[in-house]
Amino acid sequence: MSKRHLLALYGDFDQAEAVVKELRNTKITGFDVNDDMIVKSPIEHPEVEKFLGEKPVYVQWFTLIGAVIGGSLGFLGISSAQANFFMQMKGGKPIVPLPANFVLTYELFILGGVYITVLGFLICSGLPAKRSPLYNAKVSVDNIGILVKAEEAAVAVLKAIFAKHQAIEIQEEAGK
Amino acid sequence: MSVTNLLDNWAEVRHFHPIDDKPHDPYKWAMSIDLDACIGCNACAVACYAENNLPVVGREKFQHGQVMHWMRIERYWNEDDREFPDQGAEFLPMMCQQCEAAPCETVCPVGATNHTQDGLNSQIYNRCIGSRYCSANCPYKVRYFNWYDYPTTDNVWPAEMNYQLNPDVTVRGKGVMEKCTFCVQRLRAAEVTAKGEGRIVREGEVQTACQQSCPTNAISFGNLVDPESRVYKQWKAQQVDLAKDEQEKDKQEGGSDLRGYRILEDLRTYPSVMYLERVRESAV
Amino acid sequence: MKDIREDIAWAKINQDVMKSLENPRPMYWVILFFAALVLAVGIGCEVYQYRTGMGVANLDNPHVWGLYIGTFIFWIGMSHSGTLLSAILHLMHADWRKPIYRFAEAMTTFSLMTAGLFVLMHLGRLWQFYYAVPYPNERWAWPNFQSPLIWDAMAMFTYLSSSVLFLFIGMIPDIAIARDNMHSGWRKKLYTLLALGWEGTDRQWRNFRMTYLTVACFLIPLAVSVHSIVASDFAVSQQPGWHVTSFPPYFVAGALYSGCAAIITLFIILRYVFKFEDYMTLPILKKVVRLTFAIAMVWTYLNCVEFASVWYSHDAASKGVLIQKMTGAYAPFWWAMIFCGSIVPLIFAVKRFQTNIPVIFATSLLMNLGMWLERWMIVSPTFSHGYYPWTWDHDQWPSMIQWGIVFGSFGWFTLLFMVFCKMFPSVSMYEVKEMVYHRSLHLKQNGTPVEQTVEQGVH
Repeated sequence: MSKRHLLALYGDFDQAEAVVKELRNTKITGFDVNDDMIVKSPIEHPEVEKFLGEKPVYVQWFTLIGAVIGGSLGFLGISSAQANFFMQMKGGKPIVPLPANFVLTYELFILGGVYITVLGFLICSGLPAKRSPLYNAKVSVDNIGILVKAEEAAVAVLKAIFAKHQAIEIQEEAGK
Repeated sequence: MSVTNLLDNWAEVRHFHPIDDKPHDPYKWAMSIDLDACIGCNACAVACYAENNLPVVGREKFQHGQVMHWMRIERYWNEDDREFPDQGAEFLPMMCQQCEAAPCETVCPVGATNHTQDGLNSQIYNRCIGSRYCSANCPYKVRYFNWYDYPTTDNVWPAEMNYQLNPDVTVRGKGVMEKCTFCVQRLRAAEVTAKGEGRIVREGEVQTACQQSCPTNAISFGNLVDPESRVYKQWKAQQVDLAKDEQEKDKQEGGSDLRGYRILEDLRTYPSVMYLERVRESAV
Repeated sequence: MKDIREDIAWAKINQDVMKSLENPRPMYWVILFFAALVLAVGIGCEVYQYRTGMGVANLDNPHVWGLYIGTFIFWIGMSHSGTLLSAILHLMHADWRKPIYRFAEAMTTFSLMTAGLFVLMHLGRLWQFYYAVPYPNERWAWPNFQSPLIWDAMAMFTYLSSSVLFLFIGMIPDIAIARDNMHSGWRKKLYTLLALGWEGTDRQWRNFRMTYLTVACFLIPLAVSVHSIVASDFAVSQQPGWHVTSFPPYFVAGALYSGCAAIITLFIILRYVFKFEDYMTLPILKKVVRLTFAIAMVWTYLNCVEFASVWYSHDAASKGVLIQKMTGAYAPFWWAMIFCGSIVPLIFAVKRFQTNIPVIFATSLLMNLGMWLERWMIVSPTFSHGYYPWTWDHDQWPSMIQWGIVFGSFGWFTLLFMVFCKMFPSVSMYEVKEMVYHRSLHLKQNGTPVEQTVEQGVH
């Protein structure tokens, strides 16, 4: 069962929205609207998410875990470093001074949070990614791209839908 | 490591060293300087140069303020109603006060300056990276930085003078901070000898270079926790308590007639050097 | 007045910004040349100082810190406004930040790098700087975590790496554009690598938005903490003139102030050099100018607070330092600081001057000078009038070596910054598109003059 890719470009978000709605409402065998469709846009655009339906974002959990780990490891690491090895006696201060360690804990809390958030971003958005089989540089200019993946049988139907909504351009993967 | 052990250690490291802690045992090196006896002859400073391998930086660097005198004699002019202001000269020998809660220790980024068990403020030359934060935070400004590599600088120690260097003390290269150590090399030698003989260092057994060379015996130095020592007796007689930022005697109305005081005591540095105020009218 | 024309075609945005990667005005090369020249002088001075010893800087024994620490604070301070524009204004949904935040964020990164250099070259034994790095070692000795310098190092490392990540994340969509439009060659390969395969899919955008938001949320308290910690270098010590409770907020205000002044300077330079007149527009400049004016007044107020609390305290030593600043050897510089920092920005109160580029440029340079003087006046006078009488009247004038390194740092910063602006899009293309898109939506939906709605969003 080989699947083929199709990429259609649209000039504005309303057209793209209409296409997505139609794809969603039409039953096409060999094409699953949730798995086989990717919408590409040149700008961050909440409306796209609205018409695609809410999808969960997990990056913030990475943030939480990273920050907690950074902060607690930071505090434990610093305190145990101070209390072991060569103790540095400072006149009038305890060996493990809490106010000073709080400052460093704070910094490490943020450090862990930021690093793990970025890691989470890469994981959640699947970057670095292989380039998709069909790509058009116009997507990074001003066009909205809809990339679909479908079996041979469904390709004609999809093309028709794309054409009906006045796609600027329809690209097709060479048949295998 | 058991949990009890861990908690014990935790309690140990949460002590406020050394003020809150067990007092120094068996040593707490301290000094007292009688300004009434000081005649400003600079013998102590010279002795310090000789003992601690201090570089003589020369006229030009002296003018730039890059001089290395660990022990300096400060002059103040008391000019009121005098025919000649010089008559009102007052001298103050100033060196590292070996504070119990030293401001320099906490700020050193690499822990090159620490508090020792015998109550000194130590300086580890090998560890120092030369951030100079300690000097910036020292209220007495008694820390000196090696602005140049003096051992290789011309005329600091000409070739034949190398034999004059004290072999017990390192020669410091450029970029490290240094300061008065209370002649730590002498203290360590005495402590080790005494330990070998199963006793503690006796009064008079160890002297600092400045103390040794003072013609008027203005400087006394010793173990502050040893009731037999002259320093202990002086501090006691002057009612100066090491662990106080304001002495009881000064809280009395009208102050106290006793001469003992410590410099900038109210900054809570708890210095280990007590000065005895000058009462004599004229310096000469 | 509108921040940006809504009729700019998206394709033109791409073209215009991509052009900045290819052929800037000749002035670019002039700036680059002079920056390299100044940097070379700085490097020469540093090499000499490294080989001979810190003494060549003409620092002396009570006076162990000088221009190095002052300029270090200056550069750290400058980095804060990048975060102000990119993170704080992002959370506040101030749309006008979009064309200018990228270069401000780059300014953050590079001025932090410059500040880091000062920490290093100020060390007496630079070759042993790694003693201050907490890593397990055979000496079994750790750095002293109580030292504000270690806090500094940790805060700067966190801030620098977070800023680089923040800058990079925000730039990925634009690098993808550069990848698509760059003619083949090593730069195309570089962009292909850095774009990480970004294609603007819905999944990528969704996670991108959340990431950008969370990192922005982290960066704000981080930026505040970084300069508070730098202030702690002084406030934690107990020297008169430094031991001031209000130092952390004072430093943060000063940081935002000098950063905004620097943003104005760079704004005007970039606008000219890269022909960004359509994006870095006068209305946006006007907003930055107003913001700077407000921060300048906050700074002035905090100055007054500090002076008043010192003056009315019974702390003779602190008062002595203050009087020394006003009347002593440093008085000309101190009064110049007051003039440049508090008096000069008053010119921005006149509406006519808020969009007059030559006036703004000159003013921003003066404000930068004033803020640099401020840092010097924080550091040096305390050394010549501390607690101990022996330090009094020990005035110290920086040697040419010290000045050379300070000037060299400006060359280093300018060089890095200008190279960055030619290597990477210094105007955020995708966000300018968003801005244009939102404006045109507004126009379409309610047909009202967009000016009002946007103005409301700002205030």
